Amino acid sequence: MTSAQDGDGVAYAELLSDLLPVLHRFVRRKSRNAQDADDVVQEILVSLHTVRQTYDPRRPFTPWLMTVAARRVADAARRRYARGANEIAVDVLPETFQGDETKFEQEASDVAEDLRKALAVLPQSQREAIELIKIRGLSLEEAAEATGKSVGSLKVRVHRAIKAMRQALEQKS
Amino acid sequence: MKSEDLIRSLIDDCAPTPPLAHPGWRALVWFGAALCYLGLVVHFVGRRPELFTTIADPWYLAEVAAMFLTSAMAAAGAFCAGCPGRAIWERFAPLPFLLIWIGALAIGCWRDRHIQGFPPFANISTIQTIAAMSIPSALAILSMVRRGAPIAPMTTVGLATLAATSMSSAVHRVFIEQNMAGSAGFWPFCAVLLISGFASLFGRRLLRWTTRDEFVATVQRPS
Repeated sequence: MTSAQDGDGVAYAELLSDLLPVLHRFVRRKSRNAQDADDVVQEILVSLHTVRQTYDPRRPFTPWLMTVAARRVADAARRRYARGANEIAVDVLPETFQGDETKFEQEASDVAEDLRKALAVLPQSQREAIELIKIRGLSLEEAAEATGKSVGSLKVRVHRAIKAMRQALEQKS
Repeated sequence: MKSEDLIRSLIDDCAPTPPLAHPGWRALVWFGAALCYLGLVVHFVGRRPELFTTIADPWYLAEVAAMFLTSAMAAAGAFCAGCPGRAIWERFAPLPFLLIWIGALAIGCWRDRHIQGFPPFANISTIQTIAAMSIPSALAILSMVRRGAPIAPMTTVGLATLAATSMSSAVHRVFIEQNMAGSAGFWPFCAVLLISGFASLFGRRLLRWTTRDEFVATVQRPS
């Protein structure tokens, strides 16, 4: 790390490559969710890189490394918990109107067309919120970051958009 | 993104980065600079006339010394909190001096308990004065702690603000405050606690990690 602080790319490459399996093991041991272990490890690598000036060469390396890693694992757990509090993950959707196997080909096409039309008449801001959160599957935080709007404002937009689309579909039926 | 690709981006961004100076040294630099700034404030505002007669009171002296030491230790604690791997107890370094300050203040309030108008509500404007005096030194220490790691952002910002406000309140109490009753330190103390507590709530906004996506966006941005 001392060489990396001096700008030695070769030493830095060696260090990061050596750290990768160590961090993977650490994250898997600390986190129950193995799915996003890669993401957490990458976040730790970026964190180590951005705060490398805080490493004091006169002090041991491992406590410095593990403090950053533990903090980032805790941040990831907090983020996951916050996301889980607002979202429900289900394997099978309770509504089947979008499942093509549940209806004739023409019906499926009609439903999709109706939804497209209902979406098209929404104001731009509400349409953008629906596209990001409900179609592309971004979390509220990610959508807020992409649009520059607050999470609260996005929630309101999604709520209003769904209400407007429901009314439009009810009127049509 | 694969981890190997990310590592390549990190290596490409590996410019020489000298390690930060020791937290104690950085605290000393900030303390000296903040003291110089507050010296200028006193120079322009003017100091109260009977300064040397009141400073002879040992309880008053203990209170003022505790304020200055709280400031210095809080600054050191804030800088230590931004260095991963350092001992947790370093963040509690200002606590003994804060307790001495509270003790001296309590004795002052006890001695003045029969004075009419206790506690001195007229001095409530002290909170605004100390907040205004603290702004430059608080901004200076916050810009310095931002170079550290956001390991404990709320604690770091709280300690940094405690350092700035307790020094301002000490200077205010010694050189500017006209009311020399022991209980007059009540509002400076409230100001320090209120402002530091409030500032610490913004810790996560002021000090945060660079995320992978932000880093990737930075390195991919055409120069």
